This record gives sequence, C-alpha cells and structure tokens, in this order.
Amino acid sequence: MSTMARGTTAGSPASASAVPRSEAKAPLRIVASAPGAVSVAGVSHTYDVSGRVTKALDEIDLAIAPGRFVVIVGPSGCGKSSLLMMMTGLTKPTAGTIVCGGRPMTEPDPDVVGVVFQEASLYPWLTAQDNVEFPLSLRRVPKAERAARAREKLALVGLQGFEDRYPHELSGGMKQRVSIARGLVQNPSILMLDEPFAALDEQTRITMGDELLRIWAETGKTVVFVTHSLSEAAYLADEIVVMSARPGRIIDRIEVALPRPRTYEMMSTPHFAELRERIWRQIRHQVSEG
Amino acid sequence: MAAAFRRSAARRLGGLLSWIGLVGAIAAAWQASLWFGVMTPELLPPIGEVLATAVSLLGRPAFLASVGVTLAEVLVAFAIAVPLGVALGFAISESSYWSAILKPIVFLIFSIPKTIFLPMFILAFGINFGQKVGFGVFSTIFIVLISSFSALDSVKSDHVRVARAYGASPWQIAWRVYMPAMAPILLEAVRLAMIFNLTGILLAEMYASRAGLGQLIASWGENYMLKELLAGILLIAAAAILFNEAVRWFEARCEHWRS
Ligand SMILES: Nc1ncnc2c1ncn2[C@@H]1O[C@H](COP(=O)(O)OP(=O)(O)OP(=O)(O)O)[C@@H](O)[C@H]1O
Ligand SMILES: [Mg+2]
Repeated sequence: MSTMARGTTAGSPASASAVPRSEAKAPLRIVASAPGAVSVAGVSHTYDVSGRVTKALDEIDLAIAPGRFVVIVGPSGCGKSSLLMMMTGLTKPTAGTIVCGGRPMTEPDPDVVGVVFQEASLYPWLTAQDNVEFPLSLRRVPKAERAARAREKLALVGLQGFEDRYPHELSGGMKQRVSIARGLVQNPSILMLDEPFAALDEQTRITMGDELLRIWAETGKTVVFVTHSLSEAAYLADEIVVMSARPGRIIDRIEVALPRPRTYEMMSTPHFAELRERIWRQIRHQVSEG
Repeated sequence: MAAAFRRSAARRLGGLLSWIGLVGAIAAAWQASLWFGVMTPELLPPIGEVLATAVSLLGRPAFLASVGVTLAEVLVAFAIAVPLGVALGFAISESSYWSAILKPIVFLIFSIPKTIFLPMFILAFGINFGQKVGFGVFSTIFIVLISSFSALDSVKSDHVRVARAYGASPWQIAWRVYMPAMAPILLEAVRLAMIFNLTGILLAEMYASRAGLGQLIASWGENYMLKELLAGILLIAAAAILFNEAVRWFEARCEHWRS
C-alpha cells in the first residue's frame, strides 16, 4: 500500500495551487549555513508501526532565512508535528536532509534549536525556575550560572517573582511562558513551537502571541511555529507555509505584508481578511478532497 | 510556597488531632462497654491491663524471638517481592508483545484470593521459613506488578520528548523524568505491598507454623488468653500503621506537586 501511495504522489504533478518547485527552493542558496537558518531538503517520511504504514510527509523543501518568523498551517493530521519533530532532530525522516544553523539535525541539538510543546510539557515536580534550569542541568552547567541564566529568561518572559511556583500553581498562559523560557535558556538561534497556545482561551492566546512577538523582536531568533489557527498564523508570521492533507506537501508559501509591530487592529484590515481567505481556500480544498 | 507549607503543616496537625481523637474514642468505647456491663472483663479485659501486658510482652525473650522470626520472614519476602515485581513489571511493559500476553494474566491472578493457595505452598515447601517467605512473595508480587504497570503508564510521552529535545541521555531520562514521575505510584506500591505481605505471612504462620507472631496469636486465641491476644493485636496493628504512615509521609513529600 505504501509503494502504491508513493508511486501515485511522486508521479502526479504538483496541485494547481502549489508554488513551482524552483520558486520554493530559491532562498535555499542564500541561507544555507548561517546561524539561525533552516533548510529542509527533499524530506519524506513514512511511519511503519508493526506493518501499519502511514505516509506522513512527501518531498518537503523549505528554506528559512535567519531571524524570520515562519508559521506552518495545514489540515489536521497532515504531518505538521512530524515535520517539526524532524526539524528538531527528534525523529529521523525516511528520506531527505534537514540542516539547522549549518548542522545536520540527525539528533536533537539544544544549542541550535529550542523546542516548545503544548502546555502539559512542563515537569510538574519542578518549580518554574527548575524547569527552566532543566536543559542546563542535563549538561552539568554549574549551579550558580544555571540559576542566573534561568532567572534571566524567566524575567524575559515576564515571570519575575514566580520562580518558586510549581506548574499547578500557574495559569495556562504562565505555563507556556515558562516553556518558552525553557526553550530559550540555552540561547539557541532557532525556536520551534508546536501549537504552543492551542490549549489557551482566546484572550490569553492573543496576549501570548504578542508576548512571543516581543520576545522574538528582542532576541532576533528564527521562529518556526505550528498552529491550527488561521488568525494566529496571519497575525504572527512573516511567512505562512500551507501544507496539504496527508501525505503533507507544501502547497503554498505566503508572504505577510502587514507591518511590524503587529497590532490587534490589523486583524480587521482587508489584507488580513485576504490572508485568512487564501489559507482557508486551500485547506478547505484539501479537506474536501481527502 | 510558604503558604503551601503552612497549608500542609495545618493539614498534618489536623491529621494528628483526628488520630488522637480516634484512639481516644476507641479507648473510651472499650472502657464504657465494661462500665455499662455490655462486655464482661472475661470477654474484654480492661484496656489498662492489656496495655500493661503489651509492655511486659516486649520484655519477654520468647515473644521477642517470635517477633524476630516474623520480622525476618516479612523483610526477606518484601526485599524479594518489591524489586522483583518492579523489574518484572517494567520488563513486561517494555515489550508490547509480552504486555499483550502477560498483563491480562497478571490481572486475572490478582483477582484470585491468594489465601486459597496456602495449602499448596505447604505441600510444595513444607512448613518452614522458605514456605512463609514464598507465600509472602506470592501474596505481594501481583500488586507490585500492577502498580509498576500504572507507574510506567503515568510517565507522559511529552515529558520524555522534552528531555530528548534537550539532549538527555537514556540514563538521564530514567533518573530525571521516569523516577520523579513514577515515585508517587511506586511509593504507594511499597505501602500496599507491605499490607499484602504482612497479611500473607501472618496467615501462613497462623495456619501452620512452629514459630512467629501469627502462630502466637493463633495459640493465644485457642487458649483463650485474651489479654495476650489483644496486646499482640495492638502491637502488630501499631507496627503496621507506623510503617504505613511513614511511607505515606514520604509519599506526601514526593507528590506535593500533584495539585
Ligand atoms: N509515531 C507515529 N507513529 C505512527 N503514525 C504516526 C506517528 N505520529 C504521527 N503519525 C501519523 O502521521 C500523520 C501526521 O501526524 P502529525 O501528528 O504529524 O500531524 P499534525 O499535522 O501535527 O496533526 P494535528 O494537526 O492533529 O496536530 C497522522 O496520520 C498520524 O496518525
Ligand atoms: Mg500536531
């Protein structure tokens, strides 16, 4: 069954809305090995769980210049998380290569990529401070330096004074601030986030988006952000990468022309509506096809 | 966090007070039933006499020898059942093949009262130290197995993934993620294991034995030595409660983070 799927998708031409290959690949040459650059080349992935074969990703090419804020959207189950897991080095793709900051991501490299997952990923038995120190303690950074660096990152995300709180004593938004601080504590040049605000209510979600943009502006990291929310995508991104239904392919890359800093009012501009429209048209098309 | 400590201190004080209240109420009911003639001293000796007997028992070499025998059986069985149960539980959980085959069997056996197998242990091993330990291990190991299954299940894959993303070695993942996540459930397993273990071994001693506390209790009962019987019950109950509360105290320290 997998060979059949591979045969048909590899043989068929890119769908009408897809950006031509050459154009999608164009930035690759410019950014290849700079710190903060991400390059995904020819990545395909097939899960094989004791004979149950799922083709999750098909020939993904994606180049991200340092300091960019890139948001990945796509229908549920299209392989966004899988792609992110591969970009962080947590999973090896069955084909293709991924290079972040000049290093091939064959295994996680916390000096290059910091990761933020959904809300439940903090260790409930550690305080906010100890959660942020955790990546440093794994590498036996001296206690005093560890404490200072974690405190600094907690302050960056606006959690000064909450160092001794346990996760269950923090709100959902605060927990994600801690996760972001933890993602930044080793000073990676790239931050990757998989639906970090999905579990939050809408107000907190918007606030957290603004916070992330502020932190991004202050630190100059490259950000790769996966979301389900079209508004979140349009509000945060420099560029939106739209994926097809499974097996995930890149079917559109959209430059967001909204000026920075972004404000809540921009959500009611015609350009914002157009962006949402354009993403939704393609995702809906994918969903009805599948 | 200071507030959390104050809250837990208050809770502990409340717990202590309710304990004192409970013991006081039992003692009062005991004495009242004698004063009002509900019980006769032949059926229920006065509490003061029972306590005095308990104290004197602690000075009798024969009693202390029995305590030694039982304690040795309990500790050896415990030292085998808990690590073996945890190791087997992890090994079974580790393989999806063996999980599918063995987990249902473990749950099936767990539901059977272990006491009915005691005669078979006597037939197989005779009446001796090894038979008591064997029956203790058999009574205990299934609850430990089941607890270690759920201890492993309680480890969130997200937590493991985070550690991997930050470059943790397998060893670090075991110690920094698995251990703290599983600690509350494993400590609870230790507590339950001791209850099952004590029950199994005392029963084995009461049923057929030449030594040990269970054998003493049984013979005091048969010979209508109520003061000794009640004193023995009080002492064993106190020891079991003490162990249980000590582990619970430790558990509470390890799981303060569970909201
Ligand atoms: N570890 C795995 N083993 C087998 N199949 C998997 C595994 N992880 C993901 N898949 C499958 O691969 C496909 C893509 O999954 P993935 O989680 O990457 O999608 P997603 O776009 O992140 O979905 P969502 O929007 O729901 O988060 C799905 O069909 C999923 O069932
Ligand atoms: Mg996902």
